[in-house]
Amino acid sequence: MALSGDARAVASSPRSRLADAWPAIAAAAAALVCAAPAIAVLAGGLTARIDDPGAADLMARSVRGTMVLVLVAGAAATALGAAAAWLVTLCQFPGRRLFEWLLVLPLAAPVYVLAYAYGAITGPGGPAPIRLSGLAGAGVVYALGFYPYVYLAARAAFVSQSVCALEAARALGATPWRTFLTVALPLAWPGIAAGAALACMEIAADYGAAAYFGAETVTTGVFRAWFARGEPQLALQLAAYLLAGALALLALERYARGRRSFAGASARWRPLPRYRLAPAAAGAATLFCATLVVLGAAAPLAWLLRLASFRPLADLADLGPPLLRTLLLAGAGAALTLTLSALIAASARRPAGRAGALAAAVGYAAPGAVTALGAMAVFAAAREAGLVGGLGGALSIAALLWVYAARFAAAGAQPIEAGLTRVGRHMGEAGRTLGASPSRRLAHIDLPIAAPGVIAGALVVFVDILKELPATLVLRPFDFETLAVRAHSYASDDRLTQAAAPALLITLAGLAPVIMLSRRLSRARAGDAPGDGQ
Amino acid sequence: MFAIKVDTAVLPGPRRASLILFAGLAAALAACSPPAPQKNTPAPAGIVNVYSGRHYDADKAVFRAFTEETGIDVRAIEADGAQLLERLKAEGEFTNADVIMTVDAGNLARLVEAGLLAPLSSPAVEAVPARYRDPQGRWVAFARRARVIIYQKGAVDPATLTSMDDLVKPDWRGAICVRTGANLYNLSLMAARIERDGPERAQAWAKGMVANFARQPQGSDTDQLRAVAAGDCKIAIVNHYYLARMQGSDDPADRAVAEKVGIVFPDQAGAGAHVNISGAGVSVHARNRDNAQKLVEYMTTAKAQQIIADMNDELPVADGVALPAPLAAMAGFKEEDVAFDAIGARQGEAQRLFETAGWR
Repeated sequence: MALSGDARAVASSPRSRLADAWPAIAAAAAALVCAAPAIAVLAGGLTARIDDPGAADLMARSVRGTMVLVLVAGAAATALGAAAAWLVTLCQFPGRRLFEWLLVLPLAAPVYVLAYAYGAITGPGGPAPIRLSGLAGAGVVYALGFYPYVYLAARAAFVSQSVCALEAARALGATPWRTFLTVALPLAWPGIAAGAALACMEIAADYGAAAYFGAETVTTGVFRAWFARGEPQLALQLAAYLLAGALALLALERYARGRRSFAGASARWRPLPRYRLAPAAAGAATLFCATLVVLGAAAPLAWLLRLASFRPLADLADLGPPLLRTLLLAGAGAALTLTLSALIAASARRPAGRAGALAAAVGYAAPGAVTALGAMAVFAAAREAGLVGGLGGALSIAALLWVYAARFAAAGAQPIEAGLTRVGRHMGEAGRTLGASPSRRLAHIDLPIAAPGVIAGALVVFVDILKELPATLVLRPFDFETLAVRAHSYASDDRLTQAAAPALLITLAGLAPVIMLSRRLSRARAGDAPGDGQ
Repeated sequence: MFAIKVDTAVLPGPRRASLILFAGLAAALAACSPPAPQKNTPAPAGIVNVYSGRHYDADKAVFRAFTEETGIDVRAIEADGAQLLERLKAEGEFTNADVIMTVDAGNLARLVEAGLLAPLSSPAVEAVPARYRDPQGRWVAFARRARVIIYQKGAVDPATLTSMDDLVKPDWRGAICVRTGANLYNLSLMAARIERDGPERAQAWAKGMVANFARQPQGSDTDQLRAVAAGDCKIAIVNHYYLARMQGSDDPADRAVAEKVGIVFPDQAGAGAHVNISGAGVSVHARNRDNAQKLVEYMTTAKAQQIIADMNDELPVADGVALPAPLAAMAGFKEEDVAFDAIGARQGEAQRLFETAGWR
């Protein structure tokens, strides 16, 4: 529809130069928006010397804890997510179509809720024979709670894979396992690496689950140093480690992704052939997926339902306004965040854009409370300069949306970017030859082809904001309760039966978009007939 | 005409839609949140804005009762105390806060230190025992909580556990469950001990505790109660109201837990049981100062504290509160006499000593 007339517009030279430049400028602006709170935090005093003799020990233990969690739980989440994505996308086994969307469910539950659930399930008097605590407890919860990040990204990658390579492998007599290892996995690697980076940064930034299990991480160390010891300088140094770690992680992901170009991939789109697994293998696949769904979603949800059942139904009536606010906030936040994400992702392959992606990653790996502190510091500076007044009403909402964008733009950008790497270079070159501007190529070539990535990004960001707690808690306006705030105020006081209903509602509110978008994701493969998937 | 066409075509379809969606949502959100009063334009008469580090239904009930009695509307933001402090600092004179309230002596001390609370001279506040208010009237306490010893009935003879110092005896190797050293309740407990006994003896006590831990500290106070009931450990340290709350829980499993454990108010023959407070004060930048003072005064009344005792199981500061059954059985204990501002001042030191002792 919009393909008419405006090719003329890009022909005139000043306009075209501007058109060529604006994505880079916009991406740079987006990156600045994302990185500003983190920069404000670090600018607070990294240079200060710390005399406290215990500080080195606190730092060492914190950094070690986070590294162990990122390496072990991150690897576990990656393996679980990638294996599950491959099974439901490229294999045929009982329950596959159901698992396609069920496997996303743990994404809808905040990890601090998972932590409380596993604390009760594996705790004294709980049904589980093992006791989870410390790093192990946090690690198990992270692997179960964050594997869907990898699952979504990997599935988007598997779904958009060329049939030809897979068919060639099959024709040459490769087993499903061999095809997975030597063809499907390398082709999907950008997606998997992007998902793994997201999972690892979520692990690094989480506070709730680590604090609950008594695990010493950089994030809990930041809180300990800042609020318990009253040493903001030490907290800032720890936060700097976290941000540096996030940058290193992202660099590692870029390296792992390599300089792959998929220009040679065939543009012939046909339904993916699925391996019909032998009965034993099919049974194992079903069991694997079922275990993930039960441990990641069903068991904690059942626990929440049981707790909620002790309360009168009238409790639910109070939850209407918080539910509405939560959905509006997540919707507005996701729209703003995803716009920044798309800008950052679209120019991530240029040198300037790469810096933008890194800046966004810094925001993502920073704990929400730290980002909120940074945003408040920026507002305080703006106030000194006479630009704004107090953080009341609308300004408070604006600050919140900004913090959401700063926190989660990377979560949206990663899947979009991974999707964009699948756009063959020759398509963009063809568009360029035909005189299309970068923005037009973005709108009509890149984004449609990267649609699965865009969908995954939108889903992840919306649900992330739905679950966000620390920034919402401290930046919200008067009498502005969201579901997460409500759940927190009860849970932090151990009134878990009252916390259960809002926690369930967060999960349910996240469920609808999870299912909707997960279904769109399976249909996002160009050329697939609607209702395909047998 | 032409330019408009180019501009919209440049925006990708999905993003155009998202911009429209965003504008709509932002408008709806703005409609959902109350308007912010501007600087130098006092809010309409009849409002008081509260920044609270507490988050209890009981407080909301107190605010409703206050509104009924005075006609003054209460608007509140509740968040974690330490981060609320950062928000107050960032907002400076532009803050909307009229009343600031929070749990924990340490949080109150930090508010005072940051110069955020205004001195208040009021007969109602001065009627509160001196121990429970700032000498300059910058805060006044309205609820108390005791940190107590919990034991497994049948496994422990409570006569052997009369003091917190008993917990470090070698008899209790592998017997004690408690939350992490970063927890505010433990920090205040330790801070009081440092003030009372000096850092060396406090440190030795913390080390003795660590030697007797049944497990690496984790979970909430309620989790410690569950662990004692299940026999994972014989002894725990918790705040008194968590037990009262379990006794009255909706969940029968919680009530069963409460049945299996006993409570000891420690050091009744010695220094007394450690107590922490919740307090309220008037913001130095309050725009509704009179209403703020009225609310702070209201928090000190027996009526307000009756609601808090009934709904939240905290102990009152005022006289004339009829305690509900589980609390009545706990009241009347001897309280440790350490000044609350000293507890606040020593929290950072407490955290460092905990870390050295291995109470992480």
